[in-house]
This record gives sequence, structure tokens and C-alpha cells, in this order.
Amino acid sequence: MGKIVIEVLYPEVANLYGDLFNMKYLKQCFEVNPEVTVEWIEDELNGKPAFASRDDISVIYMGPMTEYSQELVIEKLLPYKDRINELIEKGQLFLMTGNAMEIFEERIECEDGRKIAGLGIFPLYAKRKMFQRYNSLLLGEMENMKIVGFKSQFTHTYGNNEQEYMIQTLRGDGIHPGSKLEGMRRNNFLGTYLLGPVLVLNPELTKYVMRLCGVESPKLAFEEETVKAYQIRLKEFEDEKTTLQ
Amino acid sequence: MARKNLRFYIAIWMGRLARFAQRMLGMNATYFPGRLAIKLCPDFINRIDKPQTIIAVTGTNGKTTVCNMLIDILTENGYDLMNNRAGSNTNAGIATALLSYATIGGKAKKKLGILEIDERSSKLIYPYINPTYVVCTNLFRDSIQRNAHPEYIADIITSAIPKSTKMILNADDPISSRLAPENERVYFAIDKLESDLEAPQNIINDCRICPKCATKLKYHYSRYHHIGKVYCPACDFTSPTPEYLARVDMESGMMTMELHNKAEQFELVSNSVFNSYNQVTVTAVLTELGLTPSEIQKGFEKLSIVETRYSAAEARGVEIITHMAKGHNPIACSCVFDYAIHEPGKKEVILMPDDDINHLTTSENITWAYDADFEKLNHPDVLRVIVGGIRAEDYRLRLLIAGIPSEKIFTTKDEKDTPGLLELKETDKVFILHQLYKTKAAKVAKEDILKMLGEERTV
Repeated sequence: MGKIVIEVLYPEVANLYGDLFNMKYLKQCFEVNPEVTVEWIEDELNGKPAFASRDDISVIYMGPMTEYSQELVIEKLLPYKDRINELIEKGQLFLMTGNAMEIFEERIECEDGRKIAGLGIFPLYAKRKMFQRYNSLLLGEMENMKIVGFKSQFTHTYGNNEQEYMIQTLRGDGIHPGSKLEGMRRNNFLGTYLLGPVLVLNPELTKYVMRLCGVESPKLAFEEETVKAYQIRLKEFEDEKTTLQ
Repeated sequence: MARKNLRFYIAIWMGRLARFAQRMLGMNATYFPGRLAIKLCPDFINRIDKPQTIIAVTGTNGKTTVCNMLIDILTENGYDLMNNRAGSNTNAGIATALLSYATIGGKAKKKLGILEIDERSSKLIYPYINPTYVVCTNLFRDSIQRNAHPEYIADIITSAIPKSTKMILNADDPISSRLAPENERVYFAIDKLESDLEAPQNIINDCRICPKCATKLKYHYSRYHHIGKVYCPACDFTSPTPEYLARVDMESGMMTMELHNKAEQFELVSNSVFNSYNQVTVTAVLTELGLTPSEIQKGFEKLSIVETRYSAAEARGVEIITHMAKGHNPIACSCVFDYAIHEPGKKEVILMPDDDINHLTTSENITWAYDADFEKLNHPDVLRVIVGGIRAEDYRLRLLIAGIPSEKIFTTKDEKDTPGLLELKETDKVFILHQLYKTKAAKVAKEDILKMLGEERTV
């Protein structure tokens, strides 16, 4: 195993709720694996993203952001829409947490009737209600892994994600209330409304991501502690007495 | 203000009756009476008479301390005022305060009001109380479930403040300094400090880009998180020029501020930057109200930070300090961590970060812990970090990710077991940094440590 390249899109705005620790922790994990070196790239809003001209990126990550920032990010990524589609078809690993996934949808519909055009890569759309904060826990399953996480958002996504979802929910809603299918997935493009340090909370998912990056038998940083914290949380989430909201 | 009608009179009578009954039962009666009044008369706050002058204090951090200081200093100087110090800062709390200080006919008994206002309740309060001044201490990231992000909160406040209100704002905060842009305003600030940096070093900074042109902002000096003096390298956006600029000298414990063309000196009540901001804010507000520097100083001399937020005791040369580190508020925690590590001596730190209210029904969202600078506790003077609470294993992991060696980390599910995990060999100070809901547990731990040290409290 050689070099891992982590590309973080627009951390100056896409950084709400501790999400940058997805990649900081992932970096720590790669670094405990022998013969792995990590290159860390942070793309700025006013620059050209590394993925536009490089084919050696292991994972492209973007976290949640404010509503104003969503519009800025859409504007910045729009010129690279074809390149993003090309990379998705090639199996490039993307991880989007929180409302970052909405950037790749067709549009975001606002309460005042405004429709913000997204990149249109997924045939989905989001509806934003600024006075209805939605908070929930989510327990789900993905490739035989139990996933735990938190949602806190003003939006829900609508449209058909039956063929392109990331997580089958066990407790909690998917992309909108009533949906059992959370997030979006096409090849190795992974998008979820789960926010915060999703990888820290889910050791198996972190290993899965590391395998997608080419590490065959991944080891985690602080593996014992991560698994212990995960097991405590999983037990709580599986307990029907634990309320979701 | 709308006219009083029968519905209003029923609401105020019932509200006052509820307040009387609750107080007879030994309850605080700072929320329910107002809630009942609003239930009976939804525009109750609009209809009741208000004091002629209202100072509304809001912001993420410091608003309670600023309100307490204002109330104490004004009272010390003979002002007769109403306030909501005892209770809630939501619309129900404001309604309770207004009906408590009103006659049975709804007439205001006081001419001056000091009201702490919850940021999210702005729309339910400001249009109806029409404050003379709105003071905003700062706007930071707070509970994600309630407050989402500071841009959202800033929009709520701006949309609710009447045009006639004068704003008293923090020039060092590039978010809150832009509140209600069309309103008359004055700014306060703290001049460059020796401890200032060239660029922010914290995990989070909620104003990294220019609000006008989205270029990455630069700093003349950076204090903590987004606080500092900023400018945009690509356009004319810059921090505003403050009318009330304090020069703070932590070493001498004094701050100097130019007031009425004369440099006035004030004693600092605390040696932390965030408490200095509270004092600067208070000085600006009181000067706007017409108090003289000597009247303000007279008030500062009698102030102390309330026991629920800070306390200190000493036994056998070990100082035990309790300090609130508001949970789900990464900035408050980061500031307290920073304060603790900059205090001289070797320390052991006890953390009590759990939110018990959540534990009663659900599994606590701990994402905020990855916005808080636990990395600051990775310091050679910090000998141990002890975490007490149900989520202790989450915080053990957070501390490991922050780079703190595992041999320095100790955890227990029960806060009351934390003192037993102290080493107390080379320790000069024990910091007990606790959530709001853990104030009692922190106090118990402090007393236990004093007993362990086997000596009576000396400070």
C-alpha cells in the first residue's frame, strides 16, 4: 500500500458540527497502518479543486454548511459537473455528510418559492423549512454494517432513491419523514444526512471506507476505544425505549 | 402597543394568581405564570405596559453575566429596575417578568428594565417590547439541535429588531457586529492583546469568508474562534471602528477605556478574556445610559462571578476551581479549556460534560465535542484528565483523538467517583469543568476533594 490522498472540499464553509473530524480521524487511521502515507488537500472556495486535474485522489469529502454557503458551493462546483460525473462512473470515492449531499441534487426548494438549482447529478430535490428544525437519531444498515448517527437539519430530500440509497433505516427516517432509505449512493459516491463525526461513530464504516481506498486489512486508530464507544451507542439506539427525537 | 382588553385583564390576573400560588409552594415562578398569560392572551407582551427604557441583552455567550453585572451595578447606583434575572429568557419568561413588575391593571411599576433574551425567541419578544437598546455580546455556534448555526441566529435577530432600537455591538465579532445593519449603533471592542494570534487556531471559526465577496478573511489580530480584528484582502469589508475601545492588561488586572475624552481605568473582575469582554460590554451600556466612570467603577468593585459558574477553594496548597463549561456549546468549552491551561501550575482536570436531560429519554448527540478544542488539554501541565458521566467512553475517544496520551485519561460513569481518580501528587490546581446541569455534582466533587486533602477551605 502506498499513498492515500484525502481531498477536503471547502473546509472554510463546509465544516459545521464537527464533521471535519471524519477526515482528521480517517487520516489518523491510515497513519496507524504500515506503509501508508497520507497527502492532505484542502480546496478553497476561490481555487480549483484538486479532483479537477488529478486522478490519484483516494477520497473526496465535504461536510455540512450554512444555506448561504450551499449556494456558493453550487456555484463553485457547477463548472466541474461533467468531471464529477466522470469520476463517479470511474468509481471515485466521495463522502458527503449533512446537507452537502443536496449540492448534488437537482434543486433546493425554499419556503419563499425560490428554487436553487443544484448540480443535478442525482434525480432528487430538497425542500427547506427554516422554522422546522428536524433532529433525530438514525439506526440503519449498510452492507451488513449497523450504522448509527445523528441528523439535525432544515431540509428533507424527496424523489426516488430506491436504486441509489446509502443506508436502509432500522429506526429513524431516511431522506424524508416516512422514507426508509437514507442518503444517496452511486458506485462509490456516498451521501448521507447523518452529520458530525460519522466515521468516528462507526468503526466498521471507517474500515469499509479504508478498504475502498485500497487498504486490504485496515486497522483503526484507537480501535478498542472506538469499538467500545460504538457498542454502547448501538445498544442505546437499538433500545426501543430510546426516543429518536 | 395594543390596547388592553378583557382577555388581557384575565391573563394578567391569572398569571399573577399562578405566580402567587407557585411562590406559596416554594417554586421560582419565573416561567409558568407568563406561559399561562400568553396562552390566555397570545399578544400579552404587546398589551402589557413596559418600562420606558428597556435594555435587552442577547448573544451566545456572556448574556447572563452581562445582565447580572448591569442589574447589580445599576442597583448599587440607586436605579430601581425590573429584570428577568431569576428565570427564563424566552417569551414566557419575559411575560412573567413583565407581569411580576406590573400593577394588577397592567401598568409598569418600573421605568427601567434589563432583560436577557434568548436569541431564538427574538421574533416573539422584540417587536412587542420595542427595546431602547439591544446589546449583543457575540454570536457563536451553539446547540446544533436548537440553534443550527450563527448565520441562522443572526437572521432571526435582525428580522425581529424594531428600527428604532439602538444596537450595542461587539466590533471584534464579524458576525454579531453586522446585526440589524440599518439601526443606529455603537460598538465596543478590546484592543490588541499580547496573547492575540495572527490567525485563528481553533477548530471552528464561523466567519472564515468575507460576507460581501466570499474571499477568505484575514486578521489584524485573532483572539479566539472568529473573534478578532478582520479585513478582507479583496474588498472594503473590515471590522467596524469601536466607540468603546478597551485596553486590557491582564497582568495588572486593569482595563483602560477612553470615555468623554479621558482615559478611565477600571479593575477587572476576572483574569479571563471572555469575562473581560463582559465587563467592556457593561461599561459601554452603562455609559450609554449616562452613568459616570466612577459610578461604574463603584459597581465593579462589588462584583464577583456567580458561584454556579465559577468557584475556588484551596487546601494544602492545592486550588480547586469549578468552572461551568456549557455543554453543547463548543466555544464556551474551548474558552474554559484555554483559561484552565493558561493558569500557572500543574493541573488535573475533571470533566463533567453530560447533558442529563437528554439521557432521560434519548441518546445524547455528542457531535459538538468535535467542534470543541479538547486538543488544548493536550498540554504538559495537564497531568490527568478525568471524565465522569454516562458518555465517558465517547469523551475518552475524543481525548485520544485530540492527542492526549491514554495514560493521562481516566473515565467513570458516575461523576461522584471522579475525585477518587485524582492523583494529587504534583498537582497545584484541580479544575472541575462542568455542564450547566452538573453544577451540583461539581460542588459535591469539590467538597470531596477538600475532604480528601484533609484541610478546611482557605479561600
